[in-house]
Amino acid sequence: MKKNNERYFGEFGGQFVSESLMNVLEELDQVYEEAIHDEEFLKQYDYYMKQYVGRENPLYFAENLSRAYGTKIYLKREDLNHTGAHKINNVIGQIMLAKRMGKKKVIAETGAGQHGVATATGAALFGMECTVYMGEEDMARQELNVFRMEMLGAKVECVKSGSCTLKDATNEAIRTWAKTAEDTFYVIGSAVGPYPYPKIVKEFQSIISRESKRQILEAEGRLPDVVMACVGGGSNSIGMFADFIEETSVKLIGVEAAGLGIETGKHASAMALGKPGTLHGMRSYLLQDEDGNIQIAHSISAGLDYPGVGPEHAYLKDSGRAEYVSITDQEAMEALQDLCRMEGIIPAIESAHAIAYAKKQAKKMKAEDIMIVCLSGRGDKDVHTVADYMAGKGYLN
Amino acid sequence: MENRIEQKMRCLKEQGNKAFITYMTVGLPDMAGCKALIEAQERAGLDVLELGIPFSDPIADGPVIQNASYKSIQLGVNLKKVFALLKEVRAQGVELPIIFMLYYNTALHFGLEMFVEECINSGVDGLVIPDLPLEEQGDLKEALQRENAPLLIQLVSPVSADRVPKILEGARGFVYCVSGMGVTGQSGNFHKKILHYLSEVKKIAKIPVMMGFGIEQAKDVAPMKDVIDGAIVGSHFIKLLEANEYQPQEAEKYCRTFKKELNDL
Repeated sequence: MKKNNERYFGEFGGQFVSESLMNVLEELDQVYEEAIHDEEFLKQYDYYMKQYVGRENPLYFAENLSRAYGTKIYLKREDLNHTGAHKINNVIGQIMLAKRMGKKKVIAETGAGQHGVATATGAALFGMECTVYMGEEDMARQELNVFRMEMLGAKVECVKSGSCTLKDATNEAIRTWAKTAEDTFYVIGSAVGPYPYPKIVKEFQSIISRESKRQILEAEGRLPDVVMACVGGGSNSIGMFADFIEETSVKLIGVEAAGLGIETGKHASAMALGKPGTLHGMRSYLLQDEDGNIQIAHSISAGLDYPGVGPEHAYLKDSGRAEYVSITDQEAMEALQDLCRMEGIIPAIESAHAIAYAKKQAKKMKAEDIMIVCLSGRGDKDVHTVADYMAGKGYLN
Repeated sequence: MENRIEQKMRCLKEQGNKAFITYMTVGLPDMAGCKALIEAQERAGLDVLELGIPFSDPIADGPVIQNASYKSIQLGVNLKKVFALLKEVRAQGVELPIIFMLYYNTALHFGLEMFVEECINSGVDGLVIPDLPLEEQGDLKEALQRENAPLLIQLVSPVSADRVPKILEGARGFVYCVSGMGVTGQSGNFHKKILHYLSEVKKIAKIPVMMGFGIEQAKDVAPMKDVIDGAIVGSHFIKLLEANEYQPQEAEKYCRTFKKELNDL
């Protein structure tokens, strides 16, 4: 199956949604294309990125970590953004599109709560009504983020269907959107969903690689050898890869969550063992059972706990342009502690997966080689999970 | 060759009658009970039966069908078992036109060619796939280029507007008009411009126009009786079956009553 139209990345992507959303997606695509060619829109987006989000954030040379791991490691500090992760880059962009389309309400899905908090934040800033769909299970795991969203004026809708996690929250957000699309904008948090969402999310997250490229050229006078990021749905990673995809000398590595280990079946590595299928409006690699039902993903990191992956990643894998690997809960937790103790940075458990693979990758590299790792978020939200893990209690999943 | 659905639609038209279509999630209360329900509805003179194939992530469905789907998966129902059930039913002489309502991944995972092959072997007459809009139908349509292959039933929504003509181009069987925005089972919540929308579809359609989503009783569609050729009931029918412990006679009674009332409107 070869798809040559713009809605596809190779054979991945597409628009597997109900008929009632097709005109909505068409309108979104048109408005988006106009917006990103509109100087005013771009100026406004840059303004918020600088004045509100706090960009540009540093590309920090992690000297101690570099010494310990044996190659030069630079960290792209998305954790220093307002709200503590890369999610806000995309949310601001999409809410600006919602405004432009004249919508009054936004909805979003959330797993760990980071995208929910970012959407609630953007909605407060732009004066929109906001409802966030979150699985019952995740609400229990991330109580503090539920409270944050409520403080920001959002309504958190508890989803009690299916596995009661991100996958089901996304289903419920799509159902609500199909019902209310006439006045409601759906802010998708990852590089997933029906076309044009993966394209839009990539565009708004590509600020990560645009800055990184400029910063590494300033610091080192050359491009990096390796660029790495963690992959759940794949928004920070597609943003981190974007400006390097054409630079074929740069190796791109995406790090998925192996949970308790790929061999245990309790993991979230859609690319390691998944088969192509359709879910949430897209055709991509998905974790499925023998009947084509979607399986529940497992990872200590709620942000990577998703049974699929964005369609462009599926394409980058199949075309060989990027390599996808996976890291277990345990390896991620060790890397998290490395970063805390060596650099004084508490990373999100999601980002710690990328750090963990950096350690492995560094062994194949020379001391003067350069690697950029996207530090997609800070770890404040995870301290309870970390404490439980260290106390040997495991985690709720 | 005329398909079972087309044949039924032609007969109804000749008689000046409307079609009544029910939807039920397959495999409930179990395979034997489901078979009894199919037979009872054929006795009641049901025109077309839609069988819902369970899927883990039914994004076009409201809570009633979501729960039914979940129960069915828990019972181990899958395509292979449903095909076996249908072969049995057809072998016993059931000629009721049968449509599968399924999500695309279920067919994709089974393998499109093998899926079509099995549909032909077990007498599936039509497919309704709510997450497969016109633009994504190419691969399946290719696989359906075979003798006796089921018809791919086209869905339109109240906001399809200028998409309606291209959706209807080459459509067969009937056109499935979704009554409102959103998901199945929002009773009485029809779109505010429902009559206008259905009339527009009726003007263009060369095939019968069916209305579905949110219908409970025949009188619910009374205001649209001049523009539709039939009605589809899903969530309400499932609730009724659940409340009556899946008794075949209850299904039979409901079908008879609805069909009579629909044609008396």
